[in-house]
Amino acid sequence: MNAPSFIQGIEASAIGEWMRANVLAMPLVNTLHVLCIILVFGSILIVDLRLLGLFDRGRAITRISREMLHLTWGAFAGAALTGALFFSANATTYWFNTAFRFKMLAILLAGINMLVFQLVTFRSVGEWDRDAPTPRAAKVAGVLSLLIWTTVVVLGRIIGFTKGYDVPVPQNIDFDFST
Amino acid sequence: MGLQEFAAAIGSTALSTALKTDSWIVPFLQSVHILMIGVVFVSILMISLRVLDRVRVDEPLALVWRRFAPFMWTGLVVMAITGALLTIAEPVREFMTLSFRLKMLLLVICIVSAVVFGRSVRAAARSAPAAAGVEPPLPAGVRVAAVVTLVLWLAIIFLGRAIAYDTSVWGDWSPTVSLGGAAT
Repeated sequence: MNAPSFIQGIEASAIGEWMRANVLAMPLVNTLHVLCIILVFGSILIVDLRLLGLFDRGRAITRISREMLHLTWGAFAGAALTGALFFSANATTYWFNTAFRFKMLAILLAGINMLVFQLVTFRSVGEWDRDAPTPRAAKVAGVLSLLIWTTVVVLGRIIGFTKGYDVPVPQNIDFDFST
Repeated sequence: MGLQEFAAAIGSTALSTALKTDSWIVPFLQSVHILMIGVVFVSILMISLRVLDRVRVDEPLALVWRRFAPFMWTGLVVMAITGALLTIAEPVREFMTLSFRLKMLLLVICIVSAVVFGRSVRAAARSAPAAAGVEPPLPAGVRVAAVVTLVLWLAIIFLGRAIAYDTSVWGDWSPTVSLGGAAT
């Protein structure tokens, strides 16, 4: 079973080559990836807890989300970029990793949840911006967001433990363990 | 008993063995650990940025501290528990890396500094109760301390990840080398 040629191309690219060749590339990119995910999760947590009415009820939701906007999106861009660097180093292995596929799906679901909240629920924010209970739809969006982002982190960790192991082992390859 | 023997002794305890029986336990603990770093780091980031007048300037520092400090302490406790369990599960992997040792050192510094900072914020708020819009004066050097704290936490996050790459990062300085793990 081979990965699509564009996935193989990504792995053979100069960036993939560079990621594999540099001893310090992995620890540094890995740290930046974790840092960005930490910032995404932490900043989203602040907004989600406010949506659930569990935190900072006296502060306007519009204000809190505005304060967190740059941090969340900046960190998400950083996580996507460093994640892409990871991917380029072992693209064909990630491609077949089940946890990786579910992680991408989970990020997509997080995006859909956010879009629905922004485009539908958030339109009436003027009525519940502060000192008022948030509507059920906002609470549901907050819970879903927390569950999905927690899942993203868990799946990310599972990738680290399964990458390269849950691939069907080719039968016709002679492994040489002598080196 | 040297550190290596101590690590081996922990590794042979019943708890360590129990933590290693199921392959999902370590990734699960690591996931909780990472989520809690998110809680702790963003709490510290908000408090530090408030000190630097970059967020929530409409709220007194003492209020921002009261909002975020409980998250920071709760996160730190859960992080310490999951971190301790991870160390008990894989004691040699942790103790015999330079990254882990430096991480513990910086962690102690950060916790002490957080306790001192929290006390001085509360003391300042008591001595000059926040009248409408009047902020009690910040202790000298607290802005520098805010920046240093953030840098230290970034270092802690890096060192946590670097445990898995100790010889790549530190070369011959890594104690792993003396265990026979080749520096790459």
